[in-house]
Amino acid sequence: MTDSGHWFERNPNWFKTAVFYEIHLRGFYDGNDDGSGDFRGATDKLDYLQEIGVDCIWLLPFYPSPLRDGGYDISDFYGIHPDYGTIDDFHFFVDQAHQRGLRVIADLVMNHTSSDHPWFQASRTDPTGPYGDWYVWGDDDTRWGEARIIFLDTEPSNWTWDPIRGQYYWHRFFSHQPDLNYDNPDVQEQMLNVLRFWLDLGLDGFRLDAVPYLYERDGTNGENLPETHEFLRRVRAEVDARYADRVLLAEANQWPEDVVAYFGNGDECHMAFHFPVMPRMFMGIRREDALPMTEILARTPAIPESTQWGLFLRNHDELTLEMVTDEERDYMYEEYAKDPRMKLNLGIRRRLAPLLDNGRPEIELMHAILFSLPGSPVLYYGDEIGMGDNIYLGDRDGVRTPMQWTGDRNGGFSRADFAQLYLPPQMDPVYGYQSVNVEAQLRQPNSLLRWLRRLIALRKQHPVFGLGTYESLRPDNPRVLAHIRVYEDDVILCVHNLARSAQAVELDLSRWEGMSPEEMFGRTRFPRIGELPYLLTLGPRGFFWFQLRKDDPE
Amino acid sequence: MSGERALIDFITGQRWFGAKTREVIHARTVDTATLREEEPRLELRLIEVGFDTGTHETYQLLTDDRFDALADPRNVRELVHMIRGGRNLPAGDGVVEFGTVEGIAGLGQELRDARAIGTEQSNTSIVFDEELILKVFRRLEAGVNPELEMLRFLTERGFENIAQLAGWYAYAGRPMDATLGILQRFVAGGEDGWELALATVPTDPQQIVQRLRRLGEVTGAMHTLLGGDPTDPAFCPEEASTESLGLLTASVDDEIEAVFLDLPAGVSELEPIRGRGEEARERLRMLTQVGDLGRVIRHHGDFHLGQTLWADGDWTILDFEGEPARALPERRRKRSPLRDVAGLLRSCAYVQSAISLRGGRVPEGWERDAREAFLDGYRSTVDPRLVPSGSSFDRLLAVFELEKAVYELRYELNNRPDWVRIPVAGLARMLEQEWPS
Repeated sequence: MTDSGHWFERNPNWFKTAVFYEIHLRGFYDGNDDGSGDFRGATDKLDYLQEIGVDCIWLLPFYPSPLRDGGYDISDFYGIHPDYGTIDDFHFFVDQAHQRGLRVIADLVMNHTSSDHPWFQASRTDPTGPYGDWYVWGDDDTRWGEARIIFLDTEPSNWTWDPIRGQYYWHRFFSHQPDLNYDNPDVQEQMLNVLRFWLDLGLDGFRLDAVPYLYERDGTNGENLPETHEFLRRVRAEVDARYADRVLLAEANQWPEDVVAYFGNGDECHMAFHFPVMPRMFMGIRREDALPMTEILARTPAIPESTQWGLFLRNHDELTLEMVTDEERDYMYEEYAKDPRMKLNLGIRRRLAPLLDNGRPEIELMHAILFSLPGSPVLYYGDEIGMGDNIYLGDRDGVRTPMQWTGDRNGGFSRADFAQLYLPPQMDPVYGYQSVNVEAQLRQPNSLLRWLRRLIALRKQHPVFGLGTYESLRPDNPRVLAHIRVYEDDVILCVHNLARSAQAVELDLSRWEGMSPEEMFGRTRFPRIGELPYLLTLGPRGFFWFQLRKDDPE
Repeated sequence: MSGERALIDFITGQRWFGAKTREVIHARTVDTATLREEEPRLELRLIEVGFDTGTHETYQLLTDDRFDALADPRNVRELVHMIRGGRNLPAGDGVVEFGTVEGIAGLGQELRDARAIGTEQSNTSIVFDEELILKVFRRLEAGVNPELEMLRFLTERGFENIAQLAGWYAYAGRPMDATLGILQRFVAGGEDGWELALATVPTDPQQIVQRLRRLGEVTGAMHTLLGGDPTDPAFCPEEASTESLGLLTASVDDEIEAVFLDLPAGVSELEPIRGRGEEARERLRMLTQVGDLGRVIRHHGDFHLGQTLWADGDWTILDFEGEPARALPERRRKRSPLRDVAGLLRSCAYVQSAISLRGGRVPEGWERDAREAFLDGYRSTVDPRLVPSGSSFDRLLAVFELEKAVYELRYELNNRPDWVRIPVAGLARMLEQEWPS
């Protein structure tokens, strides 16, 4: 029995009802006053995470790295970046999290390494040596031309010339991130070793970064290949055989019909992010139209019972617009990236609150939708207090600024000198730490943080949100998104008004005739459902969640 | 053994069943260990009780030819022998572990007389020969029960004012790892602090005031010990973080809001506070203007006079499980030791109200005297670094008293409707209390 099992009731489906919380360790809390967040700091903030009610922490990469891509360029899979602490600090963090009922998963990049990794250095200097075949080398840069370039803004090609080896190497992301060669069994074996190493230390699972690109094959775009799925099945079998209640979460930025392949028959990943629904939520609220959301959900195939979608509004990357049409992308840029600085690659590098013009009703509505759709919500650190972004910082740093804990110096993030901080904290009058911080919001009963805490608590009382069936009610009023979730005897009706104006909607609830909706936040009983369509009125950007109750109150 | 319906009826009818307001839709055995093969076969069962929303709780039953084999002393004896034996017993999907603590295990060798004592909120307790007591936890949660951790910590450090730990048994298996029960010294001839107070306040109010001073000293010494070991991560004292006051405010505030939202209609006892939730929340906001917070430590967690015994001229502190309605990780959380102080002070208020409600007479100013005596005693022994200084002490204490009264209100509404008027009186008084702004 591992440490993790010690503090949790055994539940192989725990992730289906969990609320995830994504932490950028560097930006969360500085425990040693060096200007950069670390494991010791994050350990100090576990009480906060326990108190807001999240279930699972997702850590961005914390491995040794030259940090040319926020740590996604790993130079040692078996260590901790010295900025973040030591293996002991990691172990203590995980143990302390477990004791508080929190699980921890971590990013793992299987597709590539940093070019600084000793494996790559050995591969480029000794082509016939033991690592000579660990990367994808070629004599010319024309092969696999069908594969798209993902980092359009910086990379002219997926091939880069290496003057030392005198060959080109293949990379789907930055040129300093050579792809590993998964046709080499040693590479596969090594990666399984990496997984075991961290699971043995108590980690509850992985977010598998960039998982569609593991293999390359002629005549294909190099994404979602059968060989990739075969390797994932091997990974899953290895995890299932040796560890209980762990989770593999796939990052596959693909259309739903392609992503479902990553669940396999319940024998690949436990979870996968639902990328396409996210931009459509932003589109829906701007266009005051439920259709983009209901359409993509209707297009989403059923998934195995033991698997779950991961849903999110924002994360540490740009708001990606790969999974929309060109026309939709233009619309999104037009509405959400008026300043060209806000764009990055095929996406928008902004945080949630500024995207929604800091509108409280909009932020609440988006969370209500996120929490009511089938899947497990993933929150991004700082969005729970409505932190802003800084589009004048490079790459994605603008959405990775220090967590704002208090109104004190450095936003309570660090006691180091301001100049020593890894990035400057937000200081503008609207989003700066003096107005937006955890301490103040905890104490204000009507703050966003306190509201979200109640929303999380409510969701946890009703497993239906994670386990239940989902049925769109397709109301005649296109501005209203309405659906029914059912699990065992719990029937939940969720109705969301996407419009800036008040709306009325008639819902066909005839199947639940005789039951009475009870609003879930204030426990107010609404009129009994009769034969006629059920009429509801909603305020601007308003929403209702009802539990349908059998009995009438006395 | 009869069917599932009978099992549900049995469990939901027990005082230790914590979810009385929930609708139970199933009850099933998730694992079984056979404690005795011979008829009547004695089995330890983990029962999962499922609710209409799809959540569940897990309970421990010992069954022979009935649902509650603990009613038969022979069966309980069997369990104590197994704890002393210290061997593991296989279950269907895990193992039941038995263990003893050096030194105390020799007590109660004979196990002649066994008797059950009063029905408890979360467990069933059986006393042997007035020397040993076995406490069987009913509702099970994953992890180490705080009672086992706390008693072990205090026993190992020689703290005298507890009923020392003698042994324990636990389950480790597929559904979860959980503490099943503990064996500890029985304090013979002890008088329950709550009953003692009810009986003596009308007749000899100053005597109990003096004893409360002693209880304050014992509590302070216990906190000093609990907050004095920096080497054990589960117990080492921590400085309160910048947002810890905010976290406290948020949780108490939400509890106030929730309990006022749930106030049942038509209960006349609630009239003094009905509609005053906002007032209570404003009071909380005012009180949480605290500067210094002191340190956070492991503490008793559910401290009141009913958790104390007066025996041989001194106090024994019992029941380190924490508040039964809270989840285990929350019950293990380090918080200011003033939380315990507030619990005991609320208990003095309970004494005052309970006597008055029964038509008894409480001498003028008794509760004030009792509070002062307890606090005097407490301050004389507690490590001053653990608690806030100056007026912050009083404010933080008032916050915890408010939290406790809200907790009491919910508890009494769910479990003892006849007692609702006591927390109601307490809350009403807090709302009317003058406070230097």
